Amino acid sequence: MNRLERKTMTNLVAIDNKIHKNVRIDSNKAELHGAELHMIPVVLSEFVNLAVQYPIVLTKNGDTGQFICIAMLGFKPYENLFWQNGQWQGLYLPLQIQRQPFFVGNVDVENSEQGVKSNQVVCVDFDSPTIVENCHDKTEGEPLFTENGVETEFFQQAKARIAQLLQGEVANQHFIDKLKELDLLQPLSVEISFVNQEKTRLNGLYTIDKEKLAALTEQKVFALHQAGFLEAIYTMIASLGQIYALIDKKNKRLEEK
Amino acid sequence: MNNPIKTVVIIGGGTAGWLTAGQIAARHNQKTKNSSKQPIVNVILIESPSIPSVGVGEGTWPTMRSTLIDLGISETDFIRECDASFKQGAKFAKWVDGSDDDFYYHPLVLPQGFAKGDIAAYWLADQARSSQSESFSNSVCFQEALCEQGLAPKTIRTAEFSDIANYAYHLDAGKFSAFLKKHCLEKLGVTYISDDVMGANSADNGDISSVITKNNGDIKGDLFVDCSGFSSLLLAKHYQIPFVDCNDVLFIDSALAVQVPYPDDESPIASHTISTAQEAGWIWDIGLPSRRGVGHVYSSRHTTEHEAKQALADYVGKTVESLTFKKIPIRSGHREKFWHKNCVAVGLSAGFLEPLEASALVLVELSARMISEQLPVNREVMDIVAKRFNETFLYRWDKIIDFLKLHYILSKRSDNAFWTENRDPETIPQSLQDLMKLWRYRSPADLDFTSNNEVFPAASYQYVLYGMGFKSEYEKFSPSVNNWTFAEQQFAQNKKMTGQAIANLPSNRELINKIKEYGFSSI
Repeated sequence: MNRLERKTMTNLVAIDNKIHKNVRIDSNKAELHGAELHMIPVVLSEFVNLAVQYPIVLTKNGDTGQFICIAMLGFKPYENLFWQNGQWQGLYLPLQIQRQPFFVGNVDVENSEQGVKSNQVVCVDFDSPTIVENCHDKTEGEPLFTENGVETEFFQQAKARIAQLLQGEVANQHFIDKLKELDLLQPLSVEISFVNQEKTRLNGLYTIDKEKLAALTEQKVFALHQAGFLEAIYTMIASLGQIYALIDKKNKRLEEK
Repeated sequence: MNNPIKTVVIIGGGTAGWLTAGQIAARHNQKTKNSSKQPIVNVILIESPSIPSVGVGEGTWPTMRSTLIDLGISETDFIRECDASFKQGAKFAKWVDGSDDDFYYHPLVLPQGFAKGDIAAYWLADQARSSQSESFSNSVCFQEALCEQGLAPKTIRTAEFSDIANYAYHLDAGKFSAFLKKHCLEKLGVTYISDDVMGANSADNGDISSVITKNNGDIKGDLFVDCSGFSSLLLAKHYQIPFVDCNDVLFIDSALAVQVPYPDDESPIASHTISTAQEAGWIWDIGLPSRRGVGHVYSSRHTTEHEAKQALADYVGKTVESLTFKKIPIRSGHREKFWHKNCVAVGLSAGFLEPLEASALVLVELSARMISEQLPVNREVMDIVAKRFNETFLYRWDKIIDFLKLHYILSKRSDNAFWTENRDPETIPQSLQDLMKLWRYRSPADLDFTSNNEVFPAASYQYVLYGMGFKSEYEKFSPSVNNWTFAEQQFAQNKKMTGQAIANLPSNRELINKIKEYGFSSI
């Protein structure tokens, strides 16, 4: 189980095509998981989609101090400026939200030949609002299995998203290691004043140091390009402009009050 | 006379030797872009394979952070390899009257509002009019609360060498020496000779032309740094520079040290030095990640070694027989000068004082930095630098002696002549007596410490003075206690910061574990 998920797990159960034959999931409700998040972990493969609306920056994991990539949703804890009227008002929903209520868990499997082995299995968070309560009413949500116990297309797509996230974590780590190695990170220091005179200082956020990026040798730039990181770097830089859009959202919200 | 200073030879490889070698090499021996270029200054360190280092100084000042940065050392590596932990000041227990609830703190964070106004004056006025009141350090500084709860001065998200609360380190001096040695040899290009130094050869002008080694012949140099510890091979033995004893002011002359294991791997690590007064001295207690270092420094005129051992055994809750004591003689004082001809002493060879305010390593750092920063370009200007160096460090030694004495003169203990004699004006330097007189009518301020070479800021004097219950008549005379809005704001701000810090900081042990697992980021 990866570190980012540890905190969000509550009632995780490994999926079984017999036990969970009647479970139905309403993925429209997945976004409820993000209603009170002011930042969300993101993976490299979704940067381009995210940059259309969200500032993509780095922050440090509170438990480990290690860098992680996040999209900003607000300026203080519990503030998601994309959450309005009980809905996520965004063109693209980050994978970490889309994936709800599915997670990957490790299950110890006993094997006569190899002894105890840890296997990764897909789990469902049964505390999630996406779980359809009355599963006998077969109109709401989507089932995971067909009558014959075969995975539905819905479930297969969900698993593909989980796979994208898992691969994304590995890619993210390589990306961040490279940024550290090339010393390309710098603290993002922004002081913002909102319409109500409220001031906030963004702390603990990091972004690309453009001067150091510009000073890289040809070989290093080419290596970044080959690894697919150059696009991600420029997407991050470009996405910083979305901070202004986010300020705008906040100001509008303040004016409405 | 115009011969350039090309070779610096350092005698001795304890923390003093390696810190000095590191400072000089990091500044003058950098590999240039054109790698064929010879280093500007050659640094050679000769370490005796037979003499163990004394390994004093397990406590540092916050200055150690900038020293490590100068040397290009990563804080994560340093903490992992030197068994280092965070130190946020010192807790002085039983120094005033010896009762169980008798303690005060000398934290490393300046008093809240210190730069904006005379916050001490308001605290004193507050004390005078109300019977029940918060201690000085708790009223103006959030660090005492952190120490009392065993919290770290930062989190794993804080960049290396940055802080949330100012901090220094506790470290294993032996491991620190080995760590510095590796760094100096692998990264800074210091040349290493493992050999015994038998003596020195003189040039016509009285300079040292070379040192005589047992197996490597004569080692020539332009500047010799004596880091040979108590034996002071060059400054004392070769040049016969006299020793200035200060045992008439500071009576401590012996130390007994023991190592104490923790009950288990997850035992809390104190994030401050604990100094507990005894009948004829005091006990230091320093928490490292893997063990505690505890020691009793005492005056052999006022107690016996037997009694001192018993007191130490009682303190750690063990029997005398079950402990392995390391005895270190303390000759309080320093050489009459530190830089003579082309030889300068750093560390124990220059002098030593009881470790009450962890002054040993900081003096090494300050010396190494000054030598490195002002390294004479040639022999002609060396005497000028030497004169400056001597003036600077004589001033610093005097100031440290004054500050250490301050801890003794404010005590009310009378369980042994050690304490009453310490309060005898005959034993108190005039400079300190003068300050004490001034401070009856106002609090210690920066204007009392105007030299560029100060070691302790006025805030430190305030913490000790008011921590020990020094009664001043300040509030009656002060023209400045007229802005209570300012004062209330500072006290409130301190309360707020205390609450925030307690809510957000991990325990010292927790942070050390995380550093071992993940490490700090450089930003």
